[in-house]
Amino acid sequence: MNCPPKLGVQADPLTHGTPRCVSRVTNVEAVYRDHPALQLRGLTKRYGDGTLALEDFDLEIPAGAFFGLLGPNGAGKTTLISAVCNLLRVTEGEISVFGEPHDSLQARSWVGLAEQDINLDRFLTVRETLTYHGGYWGMRDPEERADELIEAFGLGHKSDTRAPRLSGGQRRRLLLARALMHRPRLVILDEPTAGVDFELRQELWRYIRGLHAQGTTILLTTHYLEEAEELCDEIALIRDGHLIARDDAAGLRDHFGVARLQDAYVKAMAS
Amino acid sequence: MTPLVWLCKRETLRVSKLWTQTVLAPVVSSMLFILVFGLSLGGRIKQVGDVDYEVFIVPGLITMAMAQAAYANNASTIFQARFDRYVNDVLSAPMRPWQMTLGYTVGGVVRALAIGVSLLVLGFVLVDVPVQHPFELAVAMGLGLTLFASLGLVVGIYAEVWDHTTFIQNIVILPLTFVGGVFYSVDVLPSPWEELSHFNPIFYLVNAVRYGFLGESDVSIWLSLAVIATLAIPVYLWSLWLFSTGRRLKD
Repeated sequence: MNCPPKLGVQADPLTHGTPRCVSRVTNVEAVYRDHPALQLRGLTKRYGDGTLALEDFDLEIPAGAFFGLLGPNGAGKTTLISAVCNLLRVTEGEISVFGEPHDSLQARSWVGLAEQDINLDRFLTVRETLTYHGGYWGMRDPEERADELIEAFGLGHKSDTRAPRLSGGQRRRLLLARALMHRPRLVILDEPTAGVDFELRQELWRYIRGLHAQGTTILLTTHYLEEAEELCDEIALIRDGHLIARDDAAGLRDHFGVARLQDAYVKAMAS
Repeated sequence: MTPLVWLCKRETLRVSKLWTQTVLAPVVSSMLFILVFGLSLGGRIKQVGDVDYEVFIVPGLITMAMAQAAYANNASTIFQARFDRYVNDVLSAPMRPWQMTLGYTVGGVVRALAIGVSLLVLGFVLVDVPVQHPFELAVAMGLGLTLFASLGLVVGIYAEVWDHTTFIQNIVILPLTFVGGVFYSVDVLPSPWEELSHFNPIFYLVNAVRYGFLGESDVSIWLSLAVIATLAIPVYLWSLWLFSTGRRLKD
């Protein structure tokens, strides 16, 4: 593929390598070389009712990692994700995405989020959901990319259907497709397989693995320990807004002196 | 500018997809006012000043319909987006706060203009309403729509339940509109009601729009425009502040 002099070629993860031209300045490798994908320093979030969801939380996720965040309900996982994605007001601390402040336009453009709750615009069809999202992210011609994703996520026969009329599985797929629409460098998945059947879970795993294989950094929260063990290079266990442990699955098992990740998790949460 | 354009398109798309509710219903409702009050009551009240009664009420009715539409549209679109949490798609986007504010404001303005233009055409056909001062009319409409579209955003952002948005509509805007001189000139009111009318901001908007259409007003057009601007600018800045700080939009 021939690109203009200032542009380089990059494979598209979802379309299994269809190449496209990208700016060398924002080329993934160049950004990866110098900065972690996500860096949290002293992140604290206290809600209006006094609940302390995160306290002086430090975390660094290397570029290109497949990182799992595990913890019980109320541990602070969704708060952390919301803080990174500018969906809550941080009480204290700093967040940077590939070296840029998380609230800068550049950092925002690098992050894709699939939230835990299905939050699709009820007035938009499948195609419009993707196209408008692309527009919000400054894509000049989002229609073509929307069609690619509709095809990749098997939503072709529902492309003109509004979100409330989709099945649960279709909505979950659309949510993931929307997160990937603007080709983010860092994809944040907040319990993407919660409540989905085995087949769809396998399908979503395949998409996510494909993305990671192409160099996209993934931050995944899940309640399914086997999912974290299967997918993630590294796992952080958090409880009550604090980081309890961080390692790969084998390292966590060794650290807690147990044979299974489930047992390590139980021990970590009880300690 | 691309994100702003797409947010404006989304808000306009919502208005057009729901056009029977967003445009047709208010136009029919205002038409009924013109027919019932103007053409039937007009037989008993011949003229207000030098203007036939059925012509006199048209500017006020257009103002009332447009102000209510701008408010209701924006209060509902932002409340719905908060309630269903798809506002997060905008809040996390690489978009500046002023773009978010302006993008959400546009929906109410487009809806109000669609209603206003429809009523203007119908008013022209039915009662031959003139447009004497188009510049002043455009300025008054621009300020009035900014005021009510921004107020809709502010209320929709603060509202905790749907009833809060309708409360402001039914208990504040509607009564103030009715006593703001839509159906009469405040000159005919006895004291202290005439004086009290001057504390009603909608009175100034109705009179500014009436001046634009008919060249007649109970107060100076410049005073009216100044009062509307004095209200519209702070309310717009309030909505901008909410998007800039994330207050009530972000936990």
